Amino acid sequence: MRIAITRTGGFTGIERRAELDTSSRPDATHIEALAHRALTPGHCAPAQGVPDGFHYEIKVDGRSIHLADPHLTHDQRELIQLVLKEGA
Amino acid sequence: MIANHSISLIVTQSSDKPEARCHIAAMKPVFCTIVPPHILDRLAQSEDPELSGNAQRTLEHDSLHRTRRRVTALRGVTAPAGTPADTPQRTIYDAGHQETTPGTKVHSEGDGPAKDATVNRANSALGATFDFYLKAYGRHSVDDAGLPLDATVHYGTNYDNAFWDGSQMVFGDGDGQLFVDFTVSVDVIGHELTHGVTQHTANLEYYGQSGALNESLSDVFGSLIKQYALGQTADQADWLIGQGLLGPHIHGVALRSMKAPGTAYDDPHLGKDPQPATMDDYVRTSRDNGGVHTNSGIPNHAFYLVACALGGHAWERAGKIWYATLTGGELASDADFAEFARLTAATARSLYGEGDAIQAVLKAWSQVGVPTS
Repeated sequence: MRIAITRTGGFTGIERRAELDTSSRPDATHIEALAHRALTPGHCAPAQGVPDGFHYEIKVDGRSIHLADPHLTHDQRELIQLVLKEGA
Repeated sequence: MIANHSISLIVTQSSDKPEARCHIAAMKPVFCTIVPPHILDRLAQSEDPELSGNAQRTLEHDSLHRTRRRVTALRGVTAPAGTPADTPQRTIYDAGHQETTPGTKVHSEGDGPAKDATVNRANSALGATFDFYLKAYGRHSVDDAGLPLDATVHYGTNYDNAFWDGSQMVFGDGDGQLFVDFTVSVDVIGHELTHGVTQHTANLEYYGQSGALNESLSDVFGSLIKQYALGQTADQADWLIGQGLLGPHIHGVALRSMKAPGTAYDDPHLGKDPQPATMDDYVRTSRDNGGVHTNSGIPNHAFYLVACALGGHAWERAGKIWYATLTGGELASDADFAEFARLTAATARSLYGEGDAIQAVLKAWSQVGVPTS
């Protein structure tokens, strides 16, 4: 599974992007389950966002959703943190 | 991870930029005039403890504002009854590195200094912002009706952001490499609270040019709040946003420069400051809500030019023109740069007649390429 995350906006206005391929990772099952929950309909209602809030685009194998702080689920936050930290 | 290279200030002024003609100081590198955390901490300790009688209002606020409201739907919200106080009602919460607000209450109005410097800095800067709006423009808090000022610190883990969520402030600690604690710059806190002021007045739509105006007004008043706290005149001010916020090895002086947009940082990890100073370099993009943090450089620079031309304390005449334009009721929520520019000119005329103020405003917008007629 390929997961790509783009973070835009924020007070700094500086964009960040990272991509992670789960195929070679020992925690692939955990991340794929997390991504599945993060993208589950009902968990990703389009959010209005707030001034200086981060906006996120999460792409998983061609599917994508748009999210905005602070309206994220715990799973979405965990996935974003993990991919921006460990992805390339 | 960040390489441990030496720090160098890369910000210099080129002589062909319009601001370089403004005054001699503009020829020099943009140096960092700091509001050091220890000064803010000292300010926190000198706070008058006489402000504790407002707990009741704070409690009323808590129940009133617990429900988050949409940013764009606040115009016309009924102000609380009664005369608002001339003192702030601040409450600081600690999110404990979770991403939930408000978190645990750790400081109330009238409490002595906390052990946590972040809490004290947030509290002091909320106070500095409240004082600025009250003393400079007679405004009682963000909504001009005494809205209690709440802030959550230690939001998330390595969280590189601060924002106004529609009813309160939220601060991350930064990741320590790219950015440090977002409470270190008083102008950052002033910037965020000014989003609240805008929300309660012109409510500029956070997209495209009206969004860039929304951002610019937060930078303008964020910088003025710092200048007011330091007693600086326009030529003494650094005109930087987020000075002190960059990590120790990042090449740059701040996040944005109103004096020289596009020169605040140039770093392998952050990229280069993308802000334009004039319409010639206006950035067309759908990212970042249509470049709200990028194209804000243009109205930012116009304000800098007006303040610089008028001299003295920038919050007095230049700031008053911008404030009256924002709050006067004529600024449309979808205003573009040209509409805003025309309104600042009309405001300058009605406040100060046919003098140097209107001339400075017209010249500044012309220099950044925004028409006023």
